[in-house]
Amino acid sequence: MNRGNRIALACVYWAFVLYVFVPLILMILMGFKDSKFIGFPIRSWTLDWYTGVFSDAEVLYTFGYSVVIAVLSTLISVIVGTWIAVLLEGRRFWGRAVTFGLMVLPALVPGIISAIAFRIYARWLGIEPGMGAIVWAHAVHNVPFVSLVVMARLSTLPKSQIEAARDLGADPLIAFLRITLPYLVPAILGASVFCLLLSFDDFVRSFFLGGYEPTLPVLIFAMLRSGMSPEINAIATVALVLTAAIGIWAERFTRRTNKESQI
Amino acid sequence: MSASPLVHIDGISKRFGDAVALEHLSLDIAQGEFVTFLGPSGCGKSTTLRILGGFERPDTGRVILDGEDVTMQPPEKRHVNMVFQDYALFPHMTVRQNISFALELKGMDKTGIARRLDEIMSFLELDAYGDRYPGQLSGGQRQRVALARALAPDPALLLLDEPLGALDAKLRGQVQRELKSIQRQTHKTFFFVTHDQEEALTMSDRIVVMNHGRVEQDGTPEELYFHPASRFVAEFIGETNLLSGKMRGVEGEAVVMEWFGQTLRGHAPSGVPAEGAPITASVRLEKLGFHSSRPDLPNAVQGRVINRTFLGSRMAVDLLVEQTDGAKLRAFVDAETGQAIGDDLVWAAWDSDSMAVLRD
Repeated sequence: MNRGNRIALACVYWAFVLYVFVPLILMILMGFKDSKFIGFPIRSWTLDWYTGVFSDAEVLYTFGYSVVIAVLSTLISVIVGTWIAVLLEGRRFWGRAVTFGLMVLPALVPGIISAIAFRIYARWLGIEPGMGAIVWAHAVHNVPFVSLVVMARLSTLPKSQIEAARDLGADPLIAFLRITLPYLVPAILGASVFCLLLSFDDFVRSFFLGGYEPTLPVLIFAMLRSGMSPEINAIATVALVLTAAIGIWAERFTRRTNKESQI
Repeated sequence: MSASPLVHIDGISKRFGDAVALEHLSLDIAQGEFVTFLGPSGCGKSTTLRILGGFERPDTGRVILDGEDVTMQPPEKRHVNMVFQDYALFPHMTVRQNISFALELKGMDKTGIARRLDEIMSFLELDAYGDRYPGQLSGGQRQRVALARALAPDPALLLLDEPLGALDAKLRGQVQRELKSIQRQTHKTFFFVTHDQEEALTMSDRIVVMNHGRVEQDGTPEELYFHPASRFVAEFIGETNLLSGKMRGVEGEAVVMEWFGQTLRGHAPSGVPAEGAPITASVRLEKLGFHSSRPDLPNAVQGRVINRTFLGSRMAVDLLVEQTDGAKLRAFVDAETGQAIGDDLVWAAWDSDSMAVLRD
């Protein structure tokens, strides 16, 4: 590749980075502005919005509520998703293609449609809107992501690993627990982080299936209706920093364990 | 138990879909033997190994191990361990954890495990690597860990699935000698599978040559090399001259054949063919001798050396045989002899014991 091309590609890349990050930077900046009105110029800076957020019981409670939902739905997704992955990967049986398609479907259904469907289904089953319903909807939506990631990892596990374990005296269950599962850890962790973030970030399902307590995105939406406030910027910034930190940590961890487990 | 074999394979067959992997294989393996199953890929050698290990079940037949029918036993119940082709070391466990895996599952106590670990690790010179992960070891070290892990539970039979394939040529020779000496010291029965004839010749007490799911020949390395029973064995093991002629009859011990009007005498390890039948005989390259005048040997042909290939420790010479339709014989000689032969007509001769009449 010649020099001109490289420079052109670099310019496009940095233009893209600007395009993505400028809105985020604006949002972060406004959270430090000592004025109720969002926009330039910023004449003085303050941390009041942050102290306000951290002393706002409702915001803190909602944050915790969202985290609990994320953790619970992730646990369910990971167990069910891994289960399906182990069932499907490397096996041929009648109807495998259909089974696989059904497994992926929840991830493909448009959010609003699946949210309405869940709402109707929940009422029909007699499930009250609230935490249980949200956890359930998030878990179902996230299962395909876990299954796909775990299946990809599982497909790289040499068959001889399990055979070696069996050869050395492990029954199928022990072989799964001591060989397969440790091998899947990086994939499961990566998928878990992804599920946590998906759940934490979800608005549509949480909105339709929520009871009286809102999740964080629903709360922000409610706050927006009474007007844009730098407090929202502060909440959003905190959420952004946390999710970015978790994402980066997970990425590095996954890469490291992948490297270690290479044979 | 000394009279009965350690392993008794009784008429096992196995098909995968339409492909026949094994056809009615019966075989006994004695305690302490180093048996090699040799053959091209798809000959059934690996299937046999996997049936012995418990990873496949034969469609018919039985496997008796130490007097017990293990045909339907899963791998974890068998007193058999395996060294895998890719070693299959557990990447998330240290060398020590890999080797003690089977001991733990056996329910051995901590001191027992520690004692056995020390014993096997010092025997295979792995003491320094106990806390390393497989990813931190060289190919040769991994191979030894795989061997240590398979030997640790003291199996009655050790299966080795082409375990040297991944090593480079130089290391392979060294490991071959090591393996053989480990087998001698432990008095274990080794069941070795390979497609490398040289490997088979160097290590084995006994070689079973397989082809298309059947045994082609079963014997010591020397028997197979010098007295091959079939054309397949003669061609698969080492390099050989194949002479196609006609069966003429039997004279005492010798089988007489006609080759381009000349009478040659050989022996028939796999039975005497019918008179007049077209036959093929094999003469090993190193069994040909060169003479300036007709020597007093049962087989002598005249020809001219048309090609010399220097191979370091020896020389290969190609002889164009007179009074044939351009038949060539190849021979190994030392380099001085090769040069001394010159380009004039010479006699190439061999003994009847050096020429095996083959089964097609």
